[in-house]
Amino acid sequence: MSFTRMMEGNEAAAWGAKLARAEVVPAYPITPQTELISTIATLIADGTMKTEYIKVEGEHTAMAAAVGASAGGARVFTASSSQGIAFMDEPLWIPPGRRLPIVMCMVNRSMAPLGGLRPDHNDSMHQRDKGWVLLYCENSQEVLDTILQAYKIAENPEIYLPVAVCYDGYFVSATATPTTVPDQAKVDEWLPPYKHEWYDLMPDSYKMPPPKSFIQQRMGLAEAHEKSKKVIKDVDTDYKKIFGRGYGGLIEEYNCDGAEAVLVTMDSMTGTARDVIDEMRAEGKKIGLIKLKCFRPFPREEFQKIAPKYKAIGVVDRNNSFGSAGGGIVAMELSRALYELPDKPLITNFHVGLSGTDVTMNQIRYMADETLEAAKTGIVKHVIDWVEAHDLGEVM
Amino acid sequence: MYNEEFDKYYNENMIQGGTTCCPGCGGPLFWKLALKVFGPNTIVYGDGPCAMCALRSIKVPYYGIHFSFVADGATGISAALRAKGREDVTLISSAGDGATSDISLGKISAAAERNENFLQICIDNEAYMNTGIQKSGLTPYGAWTTTTPTGKESNKKDVPMIIAAHKVPYVATASVAYPQDLARKLEKAKSIKGFKFLHTVIPCPTGWRFDPAKAVEVTRLGVDTWVNPLYEIEEGVLKVNRKTEAKPVQEYLKAQGRFRRLTEDQLAYIQSEVDKKRDDLLGNDGKQIIH
Amino acid sequence: MSQIVRSFAPKVDQEKCIACGMCQLYCPESTVKLTDEKKVIFDYRYCKGCGVCANECPVGAIKMVKEGEQ
Repeated sequence: MSFTRMMEGNEAAAWGAKLARAEVVPAYPITPQTELISTIATLIADGTMKTEYIKVEGEHTAMAAAVGASAGGARVFTASSSQGIAFMDEPLWIPPGRRLPIVMCMVNRSMAPLGGLRPDHNDSMHQRDKGWVLLYCENSQEVLDTILQAYKIAENPEIYLPVAVCYDGYFVSATATPTTVPDQAKVDEWLPPYKHEWYDLMPDSYKMPPPKSFIQQRMGLAEAHEKSKKVIKDVDTDYKKIFGRGYGGLIEEYNCDGAEAVLVTMDSMTGTARDVIDEMRAEGKKIGLIKLKCFRPFPREEFQKIAPKYKAIGVVDRNNSFGSAGGGIVAMELSRALYELPDKPLITNFHVGLSGTDVTMNQIRYMADETLEAAKTGIVKHVIDWVEAHDLGEVM
Repeated sequence: MYNEEFDKYYNENMIQGGTTCCPGCGGPLFWKLALKVFGPNTIVYGDGPCAMCALRSIKVPYYGIHFSFVADGATGISAALRAKGREDVTLISSAGDGATSDISLGKISAAAERNENFLQICIDNEAYMNTGIQKSGLTPYGAWTTTTPTGKESNKKDVPMIIAAHKVPYVATASVAYPQDLARKLEKAKSIKGFKFLHTVIPCPTGWRFDPAKAVEVTRLGVDTWVNPLYEIEEGVLKVNRKTEAKPVQEYLKAQGRFRRLTEDQLAYIQSEVDKKRDDLLGNDGKQIIH
Repeated sequence: MSQIVRSFAPKVDQEKCIACGMCQLYCPESTVKLTDEKKVIFDYRYCKGCGVCANECPVGAIKMVKEGEQ
């Protein structure tokens, strides 16, 4: 039976894992992920979820146990944040390298020592080189839906990539919004049981992937990422058809018709940005919003297609890459994606919400205004604009 | 001339002859003896000790991750077996001494605490041999290694007792020099549900510096001098298996080049430590030592 | 297939052999076998010439000879 109620992001994620019929969950608690795994424990205890939750002693173990379980034939789910993701950095190389379709949640939290418990995106973006698919979610509903989509993407035999479903700690994980939990039978029909075509550890049917050189494996992994762009979009389209909700797969263009400039946001701040953009549109300002949902694989082709429509793109980077070639991580990715275009928009780049500070409507308005001005003047004022350094008045 | 007969023999043994291990390595000998007990319905999860060269030659399913993940992958595989309704499969988790006592001790401790259902084996050649003979927590006092060129100054960790303290169903020490005792222990471990731990010191002619032909002989001396005593702890009750008179440790130590530089004082120290351990074991034989 | 390089190889004196099976039991590489006809045979494709079999034989029936002379 499908039902709808107020649900925090962590709870929605637990329901996502439940609906996906995750068989093994090796996990270790860390704020702001803890309610996710305690909800799973509760759902198991009251019989709702038929899953083995392995209470491992650390995140390093959690991901290694996930690898063993996935190779052993079980559908695996896990989750972590910040320091925990860093602690599992060594085993995080293994699922993409061995093409194991593990799905995990990265509940974003800023990294120590320059952060506390609240979010920025460095913890998940730090994993961008390994081969994980990185998808970002704006609210509880999207978290639940994206987890189901993630398994469909990951377990596609043309793909076999692990997927991380990322969402901001506190702002998504602990904020309750109306969430529809689809019917289990309907999900079962859409998401069949997991059976890896390359791996079988059972002695009577033992099978391992044929030996390939490292270069062949690497190229195979890169090829899977290229192929996954279409798969991610198709899965979302299919999901929308069956369950009524879709997010565009890779990016979403919001209120962009006739815009001269756009802001690119990710994760929870997108919700706030939608309201600000609507306000500014009502004032006659030609500003639109692009929500970047899929960070890996980076939607190069999507951006190349839409970029020529705009004079300036304002990239909001809720992350740092100290000593970088210029600004934040998303801006650098986008710059490379657009580099070959003969008619490139200007890129304005902003740091905001770092170390988990709230991203306010005033700040979004400021970034939109700066980008509109660049579109008008043809001048980009800073390589990177640290928005929090400006006094922009009261919080809201 | 006998190729066909041997090929059949390797399949029966579930291990291919001619591993990439050093001549005289106790690793392939251990697996040859062990696989006979485990049988074909087995999955081995293992990491990278030297003796892993043997694991590349076994003919039962093998899965590995690097040695910082001892017991972790097995934990996952164990859960997958339950999820798939295949608890009939025997799951073995193997690690070297470096992994067991150093980098993954916490992992093994946690798996023991969770009472994971597999047999954790420590294949102990008493140093990080794979990377060229560096000291580990299980290197004995006084032994030469490349990182302890004047002899190791600290004592060998008592890993079986550490694991036994977790109140797991079964802990045992065993030796390839006493194959019947080893087989009996593996048989018992196979029949128990929950976390089992087996510690076996295997000979390493390359790292211990002795003629490979003496591999089994040296291992036997290790047991007969009570440097590596044979015992079991089942549900916390100690049972000492070999209660022979102790040969002087000198016989064991002199047989290996890595102890060449031991002084008289160091020899005396080692003998007294071995004697104390022997008295302790014999005094507690048959008693409930883990509560 | 890679080549095993040996300095010494085992050679058995079948007359001395008492078919106790210790050589087969302790060979680390499984390359010594006591046949059903109580004959000791070696797999020289994979034998490394470590000498354990010769050392463990209780009656000295196995000797390590220079490679090529087995």
